[in-house]
Amino acid sequence: MDSDATEDQRALLDVSVRFMAEASPLAMVREPERRDAAFATTYRNQAAELGWFSMLVPESLGGGSISGNGVLDAALIAFRRGGLLQPGPFIGTNVVADAIARAGSDRLVAEVLGALVAGEASAAWAVAGAQSAGRLDGGVQASIGPDGAVVLRGAKTAVPDVEAGAWLLVTAASPDGVVQAVVAADAPGVSVVPLESLDLSRRFAEVRFDEVTVPADAVLRPRGSIEALLDRQLAVAATLVAAECVGAMEAEFALTLQYSKDRIAFGRPIGSFQAIKHVLADTSLALELSKAVTVAAARTLGAEDDYGPSAASMAKALVGEAAVDLAQNCFQVFAGIGYTWEHDQHLYLRRLTTDAALFGDAAWHREHLCQLAGI
Amino acid sequence: MTDTMIDVEEFRRQARAWIEANLERREKVRMGRVVGEITTHEQIDKARALQRQLFDGGYAGISYPADYGGGGLTPAHDHAFREEAARYVTPDFGVVGVVTMGPIGRSIAEHASPEFARLHIPAILRGDEIWCQFYSEPEAGSDLAGIRTRATRDGDRWVISGSKIWSSGAYLADWAMCLARTDWDVPKHRGLTWFAIPTHAKGVTVRQIRQINGGAEFCEEFLDEVEVTAEDVIGEVNRGWSVTQTMLVYERGAGETASATEPRNLAPDLVALARRVGRAQDPAARQAIARAHINDYAQFHLGRRIAQRLQGSRNPDHAVAAYSKLAAGVLTPLRARLGMEIGGPAALAWPAGDEVEARPALDYLNGRRISIAAGTNEVQRNGIGERVLGLAREPSFDTNKAFNEVLRNARNWDGKVG
Ligand SMILES: Cc1cc2nc3c(=O)[nH]c(=O)nc-3n(C[C@H](O)[C@H](O)[C@H](O)COP(=O)(O)OP(=O)(O)OC[C@H]3O[C@@H](n4cnc5c(N)ncnc54)[C@H](O)[C@@H]3O)c2cc1C
Repeated sequence: MDSDATEDQRALLDVSVRFMAEASPLAMVREPERRDAAFATTYRNQAAELGWFSMLVPESLGGGSISGNGVLDAALIAFRRGGLLQPGPFIGTNVVADAIARAGSDRLVAEVLGALVAGEASAAWAVAGAQSAGRLDGGVQASIGPDGAVVLRGAKTAVPDVEAGAWLLVTAASPDGVVQAVVAADAPGVSVVPLESLDLSRRFAEVRFDEVTVPADAVLRPRGSIEALLDRQLAVAATLVAAECVGAMEAEFALTLQYSKDRIAFGRPIGSFQAIKHVLADTSLALELSKAVTVAAARTLGAEDDYGPSAASMAKALVGEAAVDLAQNCFQVFAGIGYTWEHDQHLYLRRLTTDAALFGDAAWHREHLCQLAGI
Repeated sequence: MTDTMIDVEEFRRQARAWIEANLERREKVRMGRVVGEITTHEQIDKARALQRQLFDGGYAGISYPADYGGGGLTPAHDHAFREEAARYVTPDFGVVGVVTMGPIGRSIAEHASPEFARLHIPAILRGDEIWCQFYSEPEAGSDLAGIRTRATRDGDRWVISGSKIWSSGAYLADWAMCLARTDWDVPKHRGLTWFAIPTHAKGVTVRQIRQINGGAEFCEEFLDEVEVTAEDVIGEVNRGWSVTQTMLVYERGAGETASATEPRNLAPDLVALARRVGRAQDPAARQAIARAHINDYAQFHLGRRIAQRLQGSRNPDHAVAAYSKLAAGVLTPLRARLGMEIGGPAALAWPAGDEVEARPALDYLNGRRISIAAGTNEVQRNGIGERVLGLAREPSFDTNKAFNEVLRNARNWDGKVG
C-alpha cells in the first residue's frame, strides 16, 4: 500500500517505521511482560509526536492530517503497524477521537480530545457485548435521567488495548435507542478484567459497568442520526483494522515466499512445486484484492463520500476472509517449523485471525452492506 | 508524450460534448454482465457504421499512434472517453471487437512493419477490418508454443497448412492473425511466425462450433495450402514468440472483466433475482448478494491498480496483468454460482422468455469462458508464481530440444528425466 502514498505520506511512514522498529521490535511480541504501563505511556507519547492521533481530528479542534484525507493517512500507518505487529490502541484512539470531534460536547472536546491528540491518554471503543448477536449496543443498558445524565450497567467483552487511564466510548442500549457515552476506565463502578487471548500482540479485557453514572455532557449527541454516527465509527474502525490486517498479511506472505525459495525438497526449491506455487499465486491475488479494497475504502471514507460506510464494510469482509485463508496457506507452506513457538508465523496467524473478527466479521459486514443498500 | 498533448480533463470535456451531440443514450443501463447470445452479421454492420462515426469524430483508437490513424493519446484519455460514453450506445462487435481493438491491433502496432501497420490499423479503427485469432489448435492450447500448423516458404510466398480451433467470432471476421511453425529443427519458441490471413482466402474453411450455452460463437478452421505473401508476415520470421508475449499481455488485461465505472449498486441482477424468488430477506441469499458485490467492487479496484501500475512505470512489469485475468477467471464462475444458489429452483427451470430467472443459468455457463480463454487459471497461476513472485520453474522437458525431437519423445514419454 506504500505505492499509494504521496511524498509527504511516505516521509511520515518512514519516521513511523523507524519508531516502531525501535520501540516495539517483532521479538517483543513474545514477551508481553515487557509491555507494562510505562512502556505504553512512552510508546503513546512518541506516536503522538508523529501525529498518529491527530489525523481524524479537524485542525479547528487541534488535529490535522498531512494529505487532507486523514483516513487514508491513518490507514497507511495502520498498514505498517500490522506488518510489524505493533501493540497499542491506535485504532481505538482514532475511532474515539473521530467520534468526539463529530459529536462531543465542548467539555469532551476540551478535556478528552486534546489529551488523545497529545498522547496523554488513549481510548478504546467498548462495543462487543457477550451473547448479543452482533448488536452494537449489546451487553450494556443505559437509563437516562431527567437531567440527561446516564447510568450504565452490564459488560462489554474483548475490548482491545484498554490502557491505564484510558477513555472508553461505550455503546449502550436504552429504551429511547442507542446511547453512546464517554467514561474513564478508572471511573467509579467501572472494572477492567484482563482476558487471555489468541493474539499475543494485543491485549483484551472485559469491561464491567456497575451502575456507572455519566454526566449529560459526556454523552455523544450527533448533529445527524445516532445510526449515521455509528455507521461512521464502525467504518473507521473497520477500515483501520482492515489496513492493519493487510499489512500483517503482506509481511506474513513475504516470509512465506522467501521460505518457499530457500527450502529444498526432492532436489528443488519447494516453490517450484506447482501445488505450492499455485497456492502462493492465489494467496498473492487475494492480497492484491485486499490492498485494492482497503485503499478504496480509505479514500472513499476519508473524502466524506456517502458510500464510505459501504466501502469500509466491503473491505472488512473481503480482507477478513482473505486474511484467515492466507494464514492457513502460509502455515501449510512452513509445515513443521511453522508449528514452533520460535517461528514468527504463529504470531501472524494469531493476529490475522483476530483482525478478521474484530469490529465485525465478514458475515456481519456482508449483512450490514445489504442494510446500508436498503435491501 | 509531447508537451502539446491535450490534458485528460480538457479532453474529457470535449469528448463529453461530442458524445452528447453524436451518440444515442442507452435506453436502460445494461444490467451487470454478459448475456450470451451470439453476435450476428446485422449487429456487426451496425457496429461498423457506428465505429466509422467515432473514427470520423477522432474518437477511435484514442491511445493508438497518430501515425496509424489513432488519437496519439494515453490510456488515461481512452479511459476518460469510456467513462463519458458509458451511458451511450457505442459500437458493439462482441468478442471479435475486443480482440481486434485490443490484442491484435496492439500487437500489430508494436511488432508489424510500418507499411503493414499503416495499411491495417486505420482500417481496423474505421471498422472496415475485423480480425480474429488463429492461435489454439486441437493439439495445443495452454502450450501455445507447441502449435503444429506449418508455414513453408516458397520464394516470396508462404504456404500454410494445419488446423486451428476455438477461434472466437471467426465467422464474422475479415482477417485472422495466425501462428504457424516455420522452423521445426529448433526449440519450440524459436521457430514460430505470425501471419495475416484473409478468412475468405482460398484454402481456408471456417466452421462454427456449438458451445455449452447453445450459441456458436467460436469456430474451427482448416487451412489447406493457404497462400500468403512475405508482406503478410507480422513481426519477424521465427521470432513470433515475442509478438505472442505482447499479445497475451493485452489479452489478459482486456475488456469484459471489470466495468468502466466503480460498481456501487449492490449486485442489481442478484437483488432482482432474490426479490423475484421471495428471498430478499433470507440471510443466506443476502450473504450471497453481498459476496458477489464485494467481489465486483474488489475486481474493479484491482483492475484499476494494475492498470495504473502498468501505465505509471517506464518499464512496466507486464506479468502483473495476470492478476486481473486470474481474478476474472476465479470470481466470474463464483459469481455465477452465487446466482444459482440465490435462484434455487427458479434458476434451474423458468417460464420461457423470463430474463430474470433465465439469467443465472446462462451466466453459469458463460462464466466459465474467462477461466479458460486467453490462458487458463492454472496458466495464470504459473505466470504469477514464476514471473511476479520469482519462484523457480517446473522442470521442462521441451524448451531446449528441437521441436521435431520433442514430438518424437512425447510419444514414448515414461516420466524419466535426463
Ligand atoms: C470460449 C472460448 C473462446 C476462445 N477463443 C479463442 C480464440 O479466439 N482464439 C484462440 O486461438 N483460442 C481461443 N480459445 C482457446 C483457449 O485459449 C484454450 O482453450 C486455452 O488456452 C486452453 O487450451 P486447451 O483447451 O487446449 O486446454 P489444455 O491446454 O489441454 O489444458 C487442459 C488442462 O490442463 C491444464 N494445464 C495445461 N498446462 C498446464 C501447466 N503447465 N500447468 C498446470 N496446468 C496445466 C489446463 O489449465 C487445463 O486445466 C478459446 C477458448 C474458449 C473456451
